[in-house]
Amino acid sequence: MTRFFQIVRSHFWSGFTLSGCALLFSAAAHAADYRVETVAEGLSHPWSLAFLPDGRMLVTERTGTLRLIEADGQLRETPVSGVPEAFVSGQAGLKDVVLAPDFEDSREVFISYACGTRRANATCLARGQWQDDALAQVEVVFRASPDKTGDAHYGARLAFLPDDTLVLTLGDGFDYREAAQDPGSHIGKTVRLHRDGSVPEDNPFVGHEGVLPEVYTLGHRNPQAIVYDSEGERLLAHEHGPRGGDEINLLEPGKNYGWPLVTHGKDYTGARITPFESLPGFEPPLLDWTPSIAPAGMTLYRGKLFPQWEGQLLVAALAGMRVHRVVLERDGARDVEQLFGELNERFRDVRTGPDGAVYLLTDSPQGRVLRVMPAIER
Amino acid sequence: MSLRLMSRSVLYFVLAVLAASLLGSVIQSQFNLAQIAALGAEVPPALWWSTTLEDMVGFGPLYAAMMAVALLPALLVAALVCRWLPPGEALRLTVFAAAGAVGIFAAFQLANMAAPMPTLIAATRGLGGTLAMMLSGALGGWVFARLHSLDQRLPQHTPA
Repeated sequence: MTRFFQIVRSHFWSGFTLSGCALLFSAAAHAADYRVETVAEGLSHPWSLAFLPDGRMLVTERTGTLRLIEADGQLRETPVSGVPEAFVSGQAGLKDVVLAPDFEDSREVFISYACGTRRANATCLARGQWQDDALAQVEVVFRASPDKTGDAHYGARLAFLPDDTLVLTLGDGFDYREAAQDPGSHIGKTVRLHRDGSVPEDNPFVGHEGVLPEVYTLGHRNPQAIVYDSEGERLLAHEHGPRGGDEINLLEPGKNYGWPLVTHGKDYTGARITPFESLPGFEPPLLDWTPSIAPAGMTLYRGKLFPQWEGQLLVAALAGMRVHRVVLERDGARDVEQLFGELNERFRDVRTGPDGAVYLLTDSPQGRVLRVMPAIER
Repeated sequence: MSLRLMSRSVLYFVLAVLAASLLGSVIQSQFNLAQIAALGAEVPPALWWSTTLEDMVGFGPLYAAMMAVALLPALLVAALVCRWLPPGEALRLTVFAAAGAVGIFAAFQLANMAAPMPTLIAATRGLGGTLAMMLSGALGGWVFARLHSLDQRLPQHTPA
């Protein structure tokens, strides 16, 4: 019986985004000017990727383990030790892995994950030291409050700002959507923290009564990617909408992005969540995807191998089974191309490697790390 | 069961599902809109009702399917239970209404177990909303039983 429900659950999302897929299949075929090679395979729902300075990679598996990929692509069999125990169920598990900007000196690694139990869980952020290919001195520096039940919508993506603070995205837990507008809750927010989890004095709501001081932006559903554009000096995030209403947003401190008061999406049942697609005081998205593509990871491409993609966003899509190339414009963003559809994979993450190649994580029990290189060596 | 009775039962079942799913759609819209209004947004009456009507089209079909699956076994059980009870219209209607309410409650629980999200229908996230939505199942059971009662009171046509 339990197995029956697992099968139904696994097919649920794809059923609701079928119309989106149909739209994508009608897109013009891409004239491939890249080649895709498998770096590593056999990963259990790989979720995020970080590049170590020595050419190796760290990959989180949603099922709770951190794996090390050698520079030659060999996946080390034994998971990295010292990783905090995650609550693993549904969408819950181990999430992002990010190295500190000064990793070569500090050896600091940040891991986000679902912590707690089915009845009381939250998004947690831990910091550890990378020592002898393991995490040591691991401490939890942040736990979102209040706890929630269920195993959906954790956000849990992480980005460093130039001032060495970090911004962590937090989902709405699905059943708690109204809490995204509650300034006294971390649910449905982004938070800005120092590395040790303390609150920066210049956070937008420090000293505001009734507002948690960590809050950086409000009104998010399930932000599944966040990147800082150092050249454009802007923070970009996207979030997974309901049935429609996937968004790319320009995050600015103290602003409210509207969920669930404003959205272009409907509930999965077809019901209206809100009658409003926009309202004064709420930030409109740079780009809206209706129907949904189910966006996951995202990278702002800066590299030498694909000069035609320079400064553009690459957005991984799960149900859409493409990577969307998005051009940022003056007052918005434009989805210009869908890539890698020929691989027929759900994409969990997309990253720009230090070598300028694009790295993809495929979402499956036998997930892969793929490297995208130009078809002709440059 | 005669063909006539069977075809009438099917018709009454369809009418019961229709009435129940329309009421359920209206109820869930009120809960969702009340949550939006509680967040501080002003929802003018015209927008309130147009959203309610839109949900009948958007949410209604899925809920009707769910209601049909819920009412079918629930009404059969109610009919069996009524065989063991003393005769009486009020008691019979109550049993069918209760069966409809319990049936749709069971459907909510099964849907939540099968779907990846914790709660499929947002209005049923709390006790008040769940009880209110169970009213729609109760209406379905009541309509089905009441239509059958009225049918039996009509003069039966017999050939000369």
